[in-house]
Amino acid sequence: MIIGFIIYGISAIFGYLNTGADRSSMLHTEIQKIEQYTPKISWSKLPNEGRPIDDENRKAIENDYLDAWYVMHLSNKTHSTAGIEDYFTDSARQNLYDIIELNATKNIVIESTTLEHHPKLEFFSEDGQLAVITDHDVIEYKRLFKQDEFLQEFKEQSTYKVILLLEDGFWRIRHFTKIQSKPFKPAENQVELVHKNIKGINYYPKDTPWDMFGESFSEDILRSDFNLLKDAGLNTIRVFIQYDDFGNAKVNNKKLDKLKTTLDLASEADLKVMITLFDFYGNYEVLDWTLNMKHAETLVNAVKNHEALWGWDIKNEPNLDFESRGQSNVLSWLENMINHVKYLDPNHPVTIGWSNIESASLLSDNVDVITFHFYEDLSTLEDQLKTLVSQTEDKPLLLGEFGMSSYNGFWKPFGTSDEDQAEYHKTAQQLISKLNLNAMSWTLYDFDQIPKEVVGRLPWRKHLQKHFGFLDKEGQPKAAFQYISSELD
Amino acid sequence: MALKLNHIALLILFLTVFQKDSETPMVNDHFKLIDAPEVWSAGQDLQLKFKSATESKPLLYCSNSYGSTIIEPHLENTILSYSIPQAFTKKSGVLRWTILSGASEFNGQITIRPLQETAKIESYLGPPSIEAGGSDYTMLVVIPTDRYDNTLTNQTKVTTHRQFLEQQTSDSLFTFNGFAYQNFYSPRQSGRMLLSSSCIELNSKEYTVVVNPAIPTTFTISENRPHQFADGNQITTFETSIITDRNKNVVSDGTYVEFYITTDENTILKTSGLTINGIAKAQMIHPDTESYWTVKAYVEGISESNEITLHYSQVVEDFKVVFSENSRTISVGPIQSFMGQMIPDGLNVHARWFKNTTEITSATQTTVDGFVIFEFEDHVLPKDNYTIEIETAGQTKQFNAIAVW
Repeated sequence: MIIGFIIYGISAIFGYLNTGADRSSMLHTEIQKIEQYTPKISWSKLPNEGRPIDDENRKAIENDYLDAWYVMHLSNKTHSTAGIEDYFTDSARQNLYDIIELNATKNIVIESTTLEHHPKLEFFSEDGQLAVITDHDVIEYKRLFKQDEFLQEFKEQSTYKVILLLEDGFWRIRHFTKIQSKPFKPAENQVELVHKNIKGINYYPKDTPWDMFGESFSEDILRSDFNLLKDAGLNTIRVFIQYDDFGNAKVNNKKLDKLKTTLDLASEADLKVMITLFDFYGNYEVLDWTLNMKHAETLVNAVKNHEALWGWDIKNEPNLDFESRGQSNVLSWLENMINHVKYLDPNHPVTIGWSNIESASLLSDNVDVITFHFYEDLSTLEDQLKTLVSQTEDKPLLLGEFGMSSYNGFWKPFGTSDEDQAEYHKTAQQLISKLNLNAMSWTLYDFDQIPKEVVGRLPWRKHLQKHFGFLDKEGQPKAAFQYISSELD
Repeated sequence: MALKLNHIALLILFLTVFQKDSETPMVNDHFKLIDAPEVWSAGQDLQLKFKSATESKPLLYCSNSYGSTIIEPHLENTILSYSIPQAFTKKSGVLRWTILSGASEFNGQITIRPLQETAKIESYLGPPSIEAGGSDYTMLVVIPTDRYDNTLTNQTKVTTHRQFLEQQTSDSLFTFNGFAYQNFYSPRQSGRMLLSSSCIELNSKEYTVVVNPAIPTTFTISENRPHQFADGNQITTFETSIITDRNKNVVSDGTYVEFYITTDENTILKTSGLTINGIAKAQMIHPDTESYWTVKAYVEGISESNEITLHYSQVVEDFKVVFSENSRTISVGPIQSFMGQMIPDGLNVHARWFKNTTEITSATQTTVDGFVIFEFEDHVLPKDNYTIEIETAGQTKQFNAIAVW
C-alpha cells in the first residue's frame, strides 16, 4: 500500500518534470485577460502616416502599451523587474533597470498610476512591425515614499512620444520620451443644490438589506415601499451600490438594469435618489484607482441623465478606514474620485457620507454638499454643527444618517425601547426643523439578517443594527413611524 | 453607521493633521533658484542649486520619461545643491523637478536634448521582397540614436542609398518624431536591391530587398510523345514556353503550373509541374483506347496558356479468348500492339459474368506478356450457363450461353 503511494508520488513528479512548455504558452495565445489596469484611453481618429491601421492591430498595440505602463507602476512600487522584458526592448529596459536600482538602494517607493491616455498613432510601418504614437495629456498620479515615510503626492499631465516594435508577438517599447509635463489641476466645478429641503431615508427593502439588487429584487416591493415613503411625506431615498457585488471594474449589466428600474420607480413616486458608490470597498491602493474609475464611469454614465437622480455619495463613512488604510491614502482616493465623478456628471451634486461631524470638514472644498452621520446624543448636535459651519462657510449640509435602535434584549438588557425610539425621532424632527437641516434617517425596516461586512460578527452589534426601522419585521409601523418626517406630526 | 470610539480616534487624527499644516513654511520665501537650466545636453553632469535661508534640507523629486526618484540635497554655505543622477540626465525629454517641503511647491522643468551625433543607426526594412514593375514598394525606417540611446532632434538629416543593377541613387530625409522613413518602389526588372542609410558621419549596414518578377502573363504549351498510339504505356510530356511577367522577367523558379486534360468523354485529368528557368514540365501516361485530348495549362488564378488538342489512335484491333473445358478458366490473348508486338504489361482486361441480364460477378486483371487468365472456383461461380463479356483497349467481346460446370 505504502509502496504504491510512493511509486505514485514519484511517477507524478516525473510526469510533471516531463511536461514542457505547451504551445499556447510559447506563442502567448493563452487567454489571460484579467482586468487589472483600466485607465481611460481615447485614440485620436486622425489618420496616420505609413500603412493604415486596422482595429485589431490598434487594439494589440493598446493592450501591450498599457501593460507596459502597468509593469512600470509595479516596478516603481516593488522594485521588481517582473514583466519588463515583455514590454520593453533590450535597450529600453536598461533605462528602467537603472532607475529601479537607484530607488531600491535608497528605499524610495513610488506608488503610481495613470488615469487618462489620449494616444495618436503617428506612424505604422508597411510591414506592420513598427508603430510610433504620441500619447497626449497622460494624467499621472504618484505618491512618493522614502524609508517608508509618505512625502508627497503629485498629479501630472504629460505627453509622451513612443516608438514600439513588434517582437515575437509583443509590442515592445523601443523609445519612450516625455516631451511635455506640467502639474495637473482638475477643473473645479461646483454644482448648485437644486433639490433642497431633503426629507429622506436610507432605504433597503425589508428582506434584502445590503443585497438590494440581488436575485430577490422585486419591482412590486419597491413600488409599494416608495409609495409608502411618499405618503409619509419624504422626498429622497439613499441607496447603496456594493462595489464587488456590482462587478467592480466590469459592471454587471443585470444589476445596472435593476438600478435603473429602481430610479424609474422612484421617479413614479416623486422620490429623488442619492446613490452611494463603493459600498464595502476598502482598498484605496493607487493601482486600484483605474479599476475604481472604470466602475464609476459605467455607473455614472448609465444613470446620470435620469430625472430621479439626486446626486452621488462617493463613499459611505470612509473615515472609518483611516486607521487601517491610512488617512492620506483614503483622502487622495476620495479627492480623485470626486473629480472623476464630477467630470463624468457635471450636473449632479457630489458628497461623502462621513460617519461623524468632526470628519465632515475634510475635502469640504471638493464636495458640493457636506454629509455627516449622527448617532450621538441629539442635544449635542447643534453645538457640533456650529464648529462645522465655521470651518466650511456656506456649503449646504446634509444629516445623512441618524436613528436609534429599539433593541432591548439578551445582548443589551438595558437598551432602548420602541417608545425611546419614537421619542428620539420626535426630538430629531424638531431639531431638523429648527436648524433647517437636510436630513435622511436610518432606516425604514427592522431587518432579520445583517451581513458581517456591516457591523462585524459580534451578536450585540448585529442585534442592535436589526432594530433601527420605523416598521418592524412584519412591516407594521412602530411607535416611531409617526415621526418619520415632520409632515406626519 | 459609526461607533463612538472611532470618533475620538478621528478627532485626534484630525487635530494632528491641522497642527502639522500650520507649521509648514512657504518655500519660495526660503529658497532662491541660483542654477537650474531650462535646456541641458544629455549625459552632462547636472546640479540644481538654490540659496536657502534656513538650515532645512528638503528633498527633491525628479521625474523623467522612464521613472521618478527622490534626491537628497547637499547644503554648504546656505547653498542647497542637488545632483541629478546619471540615469536621469542621460535620457532626452522633459525632466520635472519639485522641492518637497510641504504645502507649497518650488518646481520647474529642464528639457534634456539628445546629442547631435549618431552612435547607432537602427533600420527596419519591410517587406523584404517586393514585386517588379513599379507598383510594389518596401519601406525603410531609420532611427538614428546618440550614445545614450536617445533619438535625435527633429529635422536631423538622414541620407538613404539605393543600388540596383548599374544604378545608384541617394535621397535626403529629415527625422520627425525620432525617425525617418522612405518607400522604395520596385524597378521594372527583377533582381536584388541594396539599401543603406547614413546620418551624421555614421553609415548603417546593408539591407537587401529581393525584387521578384511580377505575376506571369499568358504563355503557350507544347506536347512531346514517343508515338501517337493509345497503348496505355508510353508517356506524353507537356511543356510550357518560358513564362514571364509583363516586363519580360522570367517568373521565379518553382512557380506552380497545372495542366488540365479534357478527354472526349469529358473526363478531366490533371497533372502539374514547377517552373525552372520559366519552363514547367508535366507528364501523363497514354490512354489505352482511342482518345482526343484537349490540354490547357494554368498558373492558378493568375494566367493561362493556349489550348492544344492531341489524338491517340487505337492499337488493339482484336484479341483471342479461349475457354477451358469446364469454362472455369478463361485465357485472353495474345493482345498485340501496333507493330504486332505483345502489348506492354499492365493493360487492363475486364471480365463480367451475367445470368440473363443480372451481373453475377466480375474481375479485372492486367496483361502479363500479352495474356490474362481468369479462373473461378465454384463457390464464387455456381454451375450454370452464363453470358460472358470480355473488354480491353476499348474492344468488347461477348460469349452467350457458356456452360460452367
